[in-house]
Amino acid sequence: MLEWVYRGLRRGRVTTGYPHRDEEPFLGFRGHVDVIGDGPVSESVCPTGAITVQAGDVALDRRRCIMCGECVARYPERFAFHSTYETAEGVVRERRRSVHVRHVDAGSDGAEEWEIQALTNPYYDVQRLGIFFTASPRHADILLVTGGVTEPMREPLLRTWAVMPAPKAVVAVGTDACSGGLSGLPGVGSVLDVDVHVPGSPPSPIAILHGILLAMKGLA
Amino acid sequence: MIALVAAPLCALVSARLSGAVAALGCAGLVAVGLTAALGGAQPVLDLGSWLGFGASALRIDGLAGIFLALTGVTGCAVSVAYVERGLHRLDAALHGVLVLFVAVAIGADNGFLFFLAWEAVGVCVYLIGGYFAGGLTKLGGGALLAAIGLLYGQTHSLDVAVWAQAGAPGIVFVLLICAFATKVGLVPLHGALPAGYGSARGLGAASLSVALCAGYYGLWRFVFSLRAPVWIGDLLLIAGAITAFLGILYAITRDDLRRFLGFSTVEHAGIAAVALGVGVLGQAAGNRTLAAAGLLAATLHVVAHGVAKTLALIAVDRVDGATGERGLDRLGGLGRVLPVEAGALGVASLTLAAVPPLGGFVSEWFVFEALLQGFRLPGLLSRLLCALAAAALALTAGLGLLAFAKLFGFSFLGPPRTLLARRRLARPASLVTLGTLGLVLGALAPWEIHVLGSGLSGLLGFDPARAAITHPLTLGPVFRNFSVLAPTWLALVLPAFALLAAAFAGRRPVRRAPVWVTGSDAPLALVQYRPSAYSNPMRVVLRGLLGFRRSVVDGRELQTTIVLVTDRFVYRPATRLALGASALVRRTQSGSLSTYLTYMLAVLVLVLVLVPALN
Amino acid sequence: MTMTRLGEGARLVTTHRRGGEPVATYAYRGQLVTVPAPPAPAVPAALPLQGQDVFTLPYGPVRSGVFEAVQFVIETGGEDVSRLSTRLGFKHRGMEARLRGLDADRGAYVAERIAGIASVAYATAYAQAVERALGVEAPPRAQRWRVVYAELERIANHLDVLAKEAETAALAVATARFNIHKENVLRLQAAFTGSRFARGVIVPGGVRADGRVDLDALLRVLDAFDGDLRHDRRMFLATGSQADRLVGTGVLPRELVERFGGVGPVARGSGISTDARHERPYGDYRRLGLEVITEEAGDAMARVLVRFGELSESVRILRQAIDHLRRRNGELRVALPDASGAAYGWAEAPQGEVVVWVELDGGTIADAHFATPDTRNWALFEHAFPSDVLTDFAFIEHSFGLTPAGADR
Repeated sequence: MLEWVYRGLRRGRVTTGYPHRDEEPFLGFRGHVDVIGDGPVSESVCPTGAITVQAGDVALDRRRCIMCGECVARYPERFAFHSTYETAEGVVRERRRSVHVRHVDAGSDGAEEWEIQALTNPYYDVQRLGIFFTASPRHADILLVTGGVTEPMREPLLRTWAVMPAPKAVVAVGTDACSGGLSGLPGVGSVLDVDVHVPGSPPSPIAILHGILLAMKGLA
Repeated sequence: MIALVAAPLCALVSARLSGAVAALGCAGLVAVGLTAALGGAQPVLDLGSWLGFGASALRIDGLAGIFLALTGVTGCAVSVAYVERGLHRLDAALHGVLVLFVAVAIGADNGFLFFLAWEAVGVCVYLIGGYFAGGLTKLGGGALLAAIGLLYGQTHSLDVAVWAQAGAPGIVFVLLICAFATKVGLVPLHGALPAGYGSARGLGAASLSVALCAGYYGLWRFVFSLRAPVWIGDLLLIAGAITAFLGILYAITRDDLRRFLGFSTVEHAGIAAVALGVGVLGQAAGNRTLAAAGLLAATLHVVAHGVAKTLALIAVDRVDGATGERGLDRLGGLGRVLPVEAGALGVASLTLAAVPPLGGFVSEWFVFEALLQGFRLPGLLSRLLCALAAAALALTAGLGLLAFAKLFGFSFLGPPRTLLARRRLARPASLVTLGTLGLVLGALAPWEIHVLGSGLSGLLGFDPARAAITHPLTLGPVFRNFSVLAPTWLALVLPAFALLAAAFAGRRPVRRAPVWVTGSDAPLALVQYRPSAYSNPMRVVLRGLLGFRRSVVDGRELQTTIVLVTDRFVYRPATRLALGASALVRRTQSGSLSTYLTYMLAVLVLVLVLVPALN
Repeated sequence: MTMTRLGEGARLVTTHRRGGEPVATYAYRGQLVTVPAPPAPAVPAALPLQGQDVFTLPYGPVRSGVFEAVQFVIETGGEDVSRLSTRLGFKHRGMEARLRGLDADRGAYVAERIAGIASVAYATAYAQAVERALGVEAPPRAQRWRVVYAELERIANHLDVLAKEAETAALAVATARFNIHKENVLRLQAAFTGSRFARGVIVPGGVRADGRVDLDALLRVLDAFDGDLRHDRRMFLATGSQADRLVGTGVLPRELVERFGGVGPVARGSGISTDARHERPYGDYRRLGLEVITEEAGDAMARVLVRFGELSESVRILRQAIDHLRRRNGELRVALPDASGAAYGWAEAPQGEVVVWVELDGGTIADAHFATPDTRNWALFEHAFPSDVLTDFAFIEHSFGLTPAGADR
C-alpha cells in the first residue's frame, strides 16, 4: 500500500485553481455559440431547432444548442464559438457552507454521468470546495438532473424531489435536460422548476461546476 | 398466610376467581418473605413427622425470604394477568398449584420434603409445558434423588442444617448442579426452557418463569451453603459462560417470541451461574468478602431477571391475545395500537439487555465487578477462568442488545407487515404495576441491596449491604474503594439530560415525506427487512455453531436450516440412544404368555437362590 | 428474443422487423445472415421466491451514486443474493424512431447520442451502414481517423471500468490515477475534434475534418501513457485487497455466455474469442494487425485482465494508425448520392459489437435498428451471481462495464 502512496505523491498536484483563479480552457474547448452578426440564416441549419429568426433578428436558444458546429461551419460570419471559461463571480467569497448533491438520471445518454463523475477526479476535485455527492436525497441540497424526462422516470424524479428538505435547488445538466435536445423528450423544466440550466452535449465538467456554484449562491 | 396459597387449588370455579385468590396468596408470600429477609420474624410451620422421613418443617430464614418474596412478586403479577385474561381455567389452577409448591420447596428444611415439592413442581411444569420440558425435569429429579441419597448415606439425616455442617464429596455437587441446571437452564441441560415456553399455552410460559425461583434457591441453598470445593466453582464459571453465550446466540435465531424469551432465560441463568461461581470460589478460598461480592451479584441478577422476564412474558401473551400471532415474522407496527404492551416489553427488553439506568444494568455491573475481583483468588486456573468468563459476558451483552433490539423493533416499530386482527383486551393492570417496578428497580437498587444483604447474611456470616452501600445512594462491589456506581442518580440525571436537550432543540418546521426506496414505487411493508435478515450477519459469521445452511430449492424457494450445536451433539444422540435402548427392551415384550411365565419362573429361582446366600 | 442456434458457431445478434416482417440476424462464419424469425415463445414471469427469510430489495432506478437509471430487484435473505432481476426500460427515449425522416448526415447526430459513452463506435457503425446501403466507401484517411477516435474511446471506457473497480475497493490512489488518465484521453479527443467524446466528426461518407493536434505530440503522450499504464497495471494486480475482491466474483460459464450470445469483454473474459474487428474487419481494421485478448476464468478478474490487454492493444493500433496518418494525405469525405438502399453496418464498441440496420429512401432514413451490445450482455448480468453476496454487486456491475442507455435506446 505504501507503493501507491509514493506513486500518488510523485504525480504532484494537478488540480485546477478554478474558481479562485481563472482557468485556461483546454485545447478544443467549445464554450457556447455566440451570434456575432446579423443577416439571413436558415432555421433548418440547426438540428435541434435552437435558431429562430424573427424579423431579421437571429436568436439562439442556448438551452437547445448541442454545439455540433453546423451553424458556425455554414455561416461563419454570423455564428462563432466562445471558447473561454467564465468564473462564477462572487460565489467563492459568499460560500459559507458545503452542499450535498444528489444526481438523478431521467433519460440521458450516459455521457453527462461521466462528466459529473469527472468532477471528483484530481483535476477538478470539487470536494475541496465543499461539494459532496450523496446517495440519500434526504441529505441533499442540490438536485442534478441529466437527460430529458422519460415517462418511467417522471415519478422517481418527483419522488426524489419530494424527499429533499428545503432549501433545495435543481440544476439541469446537459442540453437534453434543459430542453430535450435531440432525444425528443420533454426537458426537466416540464416536471420541476429548474434553477440553473447547464447546456452542452455533454457539458464539460467546468461548466457543470459553474452551474453548481451558481446554485449554491442561490441557496445561500 | 400460607393457607391462602392453598386456596386457588380449590378455586376451579373460574379462572378469574382462581387468579384473584392466587394473587392474594402471593401478596402474603411477599409480606412474609420481606419480613424474613429483613431479619424480622422467621415463621416456622411444623409439619411433624407425617412424611415418615424424620421431622420436617417449613422454615423461612433470610435466604428463603428473599426467594419467597421474588416468587410472590412474580406470581402475583401472573395471577393478576390471569384475572385480566380470564381464560384457561386449567392453566390458572396449575399456576396456583405451581406457586404453592415452589413456596413449599423454598421453605423446606428437610431434604425429602424439598424433593417432594421439587417433583410436584416438575409435574406442574410437565402439565403446562409439554413432554419435552417434563422429560428433562425428570432427569433433574433423578439426579436430585441420587444426591440426596448420597448425602443421607454420609450424614444419616435428611435435615438441611445438618448437611450444611458436614461437608460433601464433589460428586454430590455435580449431581446437584445437574438437577438445578435442568430447571434453571444451564447448557447442555437447557432444553426444557425454550421447549416449555414455546409449547405452553397462554400465560403458561409466565407461570414457568416463576418456577425458576425454586431452581435458583436450590443452587444457593445446596451448592453454596454446603461449601463446594474450588473445582465446582471453576465448573460453574465455565458452564455459566458457555451458557450465556450460546443462550443469547440461539435466541437471536428464534422467531417464536416465547422460545426467544426461553433462550434469553438460559442466557441469564448463565450469567447468574458465573456470579455464583465467583461466590463459591471466594468461599472455598476463605475470602468472605469475595464470596459476598459474587453471591450478592448473583442474587441481584436473579431478582432483576425474574421481574423483567415475567413482565416480558405477560406482555407477549397479551400481544398474542390481541393479534393471534406467536411469531416475530408476521408482527410489526403494533406500537400505536398496543402502547402499554410496547412500554412493558420495552422496559423488559432494556432490563434484559442491561441498558442503564435500569435494574439489569445494575446487576450486570455487579457481576462484572465480582469477576474483576478474580485477581484475589489463589489459584491460577480460577483467575484465568474469571477473565475468560468476563470476556464471554461482554460478548453476551453485545449480542443481547442486538437480540432485544430485534425483538422490540420488529414487534412494535415500523409499519405493519401483515394485516393483523386486533382484539380488545382488559385493562393491563399487571403490566403497569410490574412495569413500573421494573422501571424503578435500578433507581431503588440501594434499598434492594439492603434487603438482599440482610437476607444473605445468614449464608455469608456478615451483612454485605453495609460494605456495598458506601455513601447513601452510592454502591460499590463489596470491596471498599474499588469502584462506584450510583444508579439512583443515573435514573434522575439521564432523563433530565434528555429533557434539557429537547428544550434547547428549538422549534423547526417539519415536513413529512415518504420513506426513500431508491425512487421505486414499492410499498414499504414489502421491502422492509425481515427479522431473520436483521440477525443474518450473526448467523453467517457463527454458522459453525449454528449449523446454518441456506439454499435455493427448485429455483423458487429459499430454505434455511439451523441445527443448534447442543441439539446436534447432545440431544439427538441421546434421543437416538434412548430410542435404541427402548427398542432393544421392547423385544422382551413379545406378548406371548409363555415368555412372561418364563420370566417369572427365572426371577423366582433367582430370589430363592440369592436370598439365603446373602443372609 | 430467442436463444436458438443456427448451427455450430452461429451467434444471434438481434431480432427486428424488416418490411414489417420479424427477422433474426445471426453472425455466422464471418458474415451476418438474416433469416425469418419464428415468433418468440412466451416466457412466463418469474414468481417471487418463497421462504420465510426472503425479502425483496428494489435497488433503483435512482441508485446510490452518480449512475444511470436502471432497477435491480434483489431477492435476498440478508447477505447473499438469492435471485437478481434487471429491469431495464427506464431510459427508453425512442431514438430509433427519431431517426426516421432525418437526412442521412443529420442522422449521425442522433446515432451518436444513443449510447453517449460509445459515441464513436455507434456513429461509425451507422455511417458504415449508410455507406454500404448507398454503395460508397469512405476514403482511407477518413477510415484511419475513425480508427484513431475509436481506439481513444476504447481506452477511455476501459480506464473508466478500472477506475470504478479501484474506487469500489477503496484504493484511492489507483482511482485517482486511472481517472487522471481518462481525463487526459477525453481532453485529447477534445483537442482533436472539439468535443470530449469525439462527437460531430464522424459522418456517413467520412469525417468532417482533420484532427487538429500535432501527431508527434500525440505519439509522445501515448508513450508516456503506455509506461504509466504498465506500472499501474502491475501495482493494481499486485494489491491483495483489490485482487481478492475480483477473483472468483461474478463467474460466467462459457456455455451460458454462448447461449445468450454475449459479446465484448464480457464474452472474451469467459474464453469466447469474439471481436467485430477480427470476425468481420471493417474500415481500416482490414489493414491493421489485431490480436483478440481472451481469458478463461470468466470471473471479474478475467474481464479486468481482458481490458488491460486491450488497453495495450489499442495503444499499439494507435501507433500504427498515427504512423500512416503522418505519412500520407488524402480526402476526408465523399459525397453521398441521393439513392435508396438498405444494409448492415457494425463496429466494435468498448462494450461489444454494435450492429446497425439502416433503410434509406432517397437520402432520408426510412427505418433504422440498433443491435446494441448492452442489450445482449445485460441479460447475462443476473446470472453472474451464483455464489456472491450483496457487497460484490458493485464489482460485478463495473466489470461488465455496460450502459443502460444502449440497452434502452
